[in-house]
Amino acid sequence: MSRSTTVPEGTSAQAGRRRTAGRQPGRTPGRHGSGRPSGRRTLLGLDRDGLILVIPALLPIVAFSVYPLLRGIYLGFTDARAGRNSVTSFTGFENYAQLLGDSYFWSSFRIGLIWAVAVTALQFFLAFGLALLLNEPLRMRWLARTLALVPWAMPPVVIGIMWRLVYHPNAGILNTILGDLGLISRDVDWLNTAELALPAVILVAVWAGMPQTTVVLLAGLQGVRQELHEAAAVDGAGSWRRFWSVTLPHLRPIIVAITTLDFIWNFNSFGLVYVLTQGGPGGETRLPLLFAYEEAFRYGNYGYAAALGNAMVIVIALFVVFYLRIRMREDD
Amino acid sequence: MRHRVRAAAALVAAGALIAAGCGAGSGTNEAGSPKEPISLRFQSLAFQPESIAANKEIVAEWNKANPNVKVEYVQGDWGSVQDQLVTGFEGGTAPDIFHYESSYLRDFADRGNLLDLNDYLTDKTRRDIRPAIWDTATFDDGVYGMPFLLDAFVVFANKKLLDEAGIKVPAPDDPWTWDEFTANAKKLTKQGRYGAAFALKSPANRILNLSLNFDGKFFAQQDDKSQAVFGAPEKVVLQRIHDMLYKDKIAAPEAIGMGGADTLPAFFDGKFAMVPSGIWLRQQIIEQAPKDFEWVTIPALKGTSQTQAAAPQTLSVSADTKHPEEAVKFMEFFLSPKNQARLANGDAMVPASQGALDDPVLTKTPGWEVAVASGSFLQKAPFQTVKGYEEWKNKIANPSIQEYFQDRITIDQLGQKLVKDGNGILERYQR
Amino acid sequence: MMTRTSPSRRALQYLALAGYLVFLAFPLWWLISTALKTPQEIARIDPTVIPIHPTLENFRTAFEQQPILRSILNTLYVAGVSSLVTVGLAVPGAYVMARYRSIVGKSTMVWVLLSQIFPFILVIIPLFLIVRDFGLFDTHLGLIIVYIVWSMPFALWMLRSHVQSIPIEVEEAAAIDGASRVRMIREILAPLLVPGVVATALFTFVSAWNEFFFALVLLKSPELSTLSLTLVKFIGAEGVARLGALAAASLVATIPSLIFFAIIQRHLTSGLLSGAVKS
Repeated sequence: MSRSTTVPEGTSAQAGRRRTAGRQPGRTPGRHGSGRPSGRRTLLGLDRDGLILVIPALLPIVAFSVYPLLRGIYLGFTDARAGRNSVTSFTGFENYAQLLGDSYFWSSFRIGLIWAVAVTALQFFLAFGLALLLNEPLRMRWLARTLALVPWAMPPVVIGIMWRLVYHPNAGILNTILGDLGLISRDVDWLNTAELALPAVILVAVWAGMPQTTVVLLAGLQGVRQELHEAAAVDGAGSWRRFWSVTLPHLRPIIVAITTLDFIWNFNSFGLVYVLTQGGPGGETRLPLLFAYEEAFRYGNYGYAAALGNAMVIVIALFVVFYLRIRMREDD
Repeated sequence: MRHRVRAAAALVAAGALIAAGCGAGSGTNEAGSPKEPISLRFQSLAFQPESIAANKEIVAEWNKANPNVKVEYVQGDWGSVQDQLVTGFEGGTAPDIFHYESSYLRDFADRGNLLDLNDYLTDKTRRDIRPAIWDTATFDDGVYGMPFLLDAFVVFANKKLLDEAGIKVPAPDDPWTWDEFTANAKKLTKQGRYGAAFALKSPANRILNLSLNFDGKFFAQQDDKSQAVFGAPEKVVLQRIHDMLYKDKIAAPEAIGMGGADTLPAFFDGKFAMVPSGIWLRQQIIEQAPKDFEWVTIPALKGTSQTQAAAPQTLSVSADTKHPEEAVKFMEFFLSPKNQARLANGDAMVPASQGALDDPVLTKTPGWEVAVASGSFLQKAPFQTVKGYEEWKNKIANPSIQEYFQDRITIDQLGQKLVKDGNGILERYQR
Repeated sequence: MMTRTSPSRRALQYLALAGYLVFLAFPLWWLISTALKTPQEIARIDPTVIPIHPTLENFRTAFEQQPILRSILNTLYVAGVSSLVTVGLAVPGAYVMARYRSIVGKSTMVWVLLSQIFPFILVIIPLFLIVRDFGLFDTHLGLIIVYIVWSMPFALWMLRSHVQSIPIEVEEAAAIDGASRVRMIREILAPLLVPGVVATALFTFVSAWNEFFFALVLLKSPELSTLSLTLVKFIGAEGVARLGALAAASLVATIPSLIFFAIIQRHLTSGLLSGAVKS
């Protein structure tokens, strides 16, 4: 790879890594359940070192994450509302009964599923393609690398505004380009036409989320040991074969991790939509979490909003468990 | 590498300490007696540059005259203000005085967030604003906001195109009827040009305001409860705009989802001959129009009457404020007739103050006669005091009216949603 | 490289790269272009790709009306501190989770996943009350703590994968040499983890940099405002925005992180090497 020629220390680094690579074939790195057998177990299967290492990370999580979450979950079973004099009482499953009969919730739920699946899938394929390209010794790669990170460096608020400028029906660049190419005969109002708004915001989300996925996959690709490729090449494997038999298996844990996280994030995200369409037109882009956000912070129905959040948790959990089980089975 | 990590950790710890120190140090002013200096926070939603400038000037003048009651200007924005106020009130950090709109005050008043101004307002202030306008911020005898900026729906037109088509600009006391408006839009429509372009991104407020032209009220009181209704009077304005869009094809369908100023590029380019909009759009036209562009303001349209619902912008005082008297005093200063004229000028709108109407600052602006005429026909509409209106509007009315204007549902389906789904929501607020 | 790439394949790669470049760059170009236009030119029906009369007027308006510079510093501070603390705490934690067969590790991983699943709406209301009760409402420290907690699960998860992809033999060798576990992490594992740490720090920095809703709920004072909050204030009634000034401010807002990213992107490639060499 190019870095061994451009970076002087490259040779020694490769030598160093070759040493560690001389291990038994068939043992994938990072799939071990445990480290050294430890005779010094004290608490919960951790020795003293382990406890010292793990506690700083766990303490804030417990104080500012576990407790609020539990309280948030509880809110979903109450009729909590905003207001100085409002009294909160436990209502059991009343909120959920109401949710089941709320047609506005169901349509927003359907939109949320389309959104999360479409954004995650497009993000992954586009990002994987880009990561593979950026891993090749191409000219202008630095430019592509920088540009690939641009969307990530921009706040969603800015991204939303920027794409509003792009999509603007009269003054936007998109209609001008499509018009000049003869692809459309009259100006299209992308964000305010019922059939187009969702695809339009999906495209923005893909644009905005691609860099994260690309960086993770690229980091993964750079961890693929060149020797394995070389060995496979000596065995006569073409680049396609090497991709399937060397690159992909190595990346599998990272791919599972990033697509799972992307899916959850996308399902739970609504910042871009908040800026781009506020859920319009006609509720066509009203994602479930935007729906919940409005319930809580526009109308002050905390209990109902939290109930909606609880319902979403169950849905996502089912999806993730299902997905992870499939991927894990493929792994074995 | 190791050293860098350590240095960074030290830095972080130091930073956290400093931040903690700052947080503890900058405690709020607990003014024991009125003689000690106190401070108030005033949140404005002004967004046009002239208007922001006017806001800041007036605050500076107050601070100069009242060194013991320092007012801090806080810039808010229309997009996030609802969420921000809801959380602010819950967290006890809402601004002492804040700028908003009358139709959203009801729910805040019900939650006990707003100060009832009855005990504080001076008679002079009360007399300066017409009772019909005060009504918009009065719920169950409590006054929860002071109205100051009025908007009305008028029509902006391309003067050159009107002249070409031989259409005369009507006088404020002889406005076009909806029929005349439609006929003229038809005359102005030709290949590549629409006679009219309605920008109705958030249509509910606009449609409800306008429907009073034909006595469409959308809500009725029944046994002390508000019910959503949808009968013949409610249908008229909706139906007429829909016909212009899809039957006569004289209004631009691509404009229907646009926000207020989004139609301007096409308006300047002659693609849209007339742009019905709020009066505030004047400011944007003045700012953005090419130098050679000639435009006129056509008075508000007339149905069975010219009546529109007034949804004035307001200032309210938080019930949590520690200094209610000073806060109201500042509000009265800020909204004195002279200052209302400056604010109205900054936003190209009409002041609620009677005393501000003759101010030369306003009378010289383009289209002023039309703007000022709207002061006489603005009224309080039933929807402004409905509990849960904000949720009804945002969750049901806006999306389903949009769907109707995109020709995806019929007017009866629209009515079904507004009434059946709508009452389901109102129910929750009336328990 | 032992294998050579055929010219036609290279050509295809360049073509694909060009496609990506256009897709990634053209909205940004449009933003730059809008920032340099006069209000009249923005309102033109037939938009110009390159401004005819470029002007810096919009930047002046932007800086005059909103404390952009202050917001940038605020955001840098909040995002910088929270990302450093997050990574500092997460590296050891992630190591334990990857290498120990422990209930703590397992349950933490379960929690990490679970907490990602929980939507922000379930947390923000109670969190808001807690932050207020701690006296941290409307302070940077409050926001920093929230950001640390909120990016910690992700940091743990990513770093754990990176630890796992380092062969266990490296550690076994060190153990034979008699190194303590803490020392082994510091001197052997940490350098190998550099690319992962850089990537994770980047993630946390940028997610704090970009974050909007927590800041909206937890910060009220304009002088504490982060960038997103300040920018949102440009968007006025009925979706009317002062487009030129907004574009200008957005552009200014993006510059620091662009520079940061331009520097960092080289490290993303060389980090692995330098780490291995210096050890």
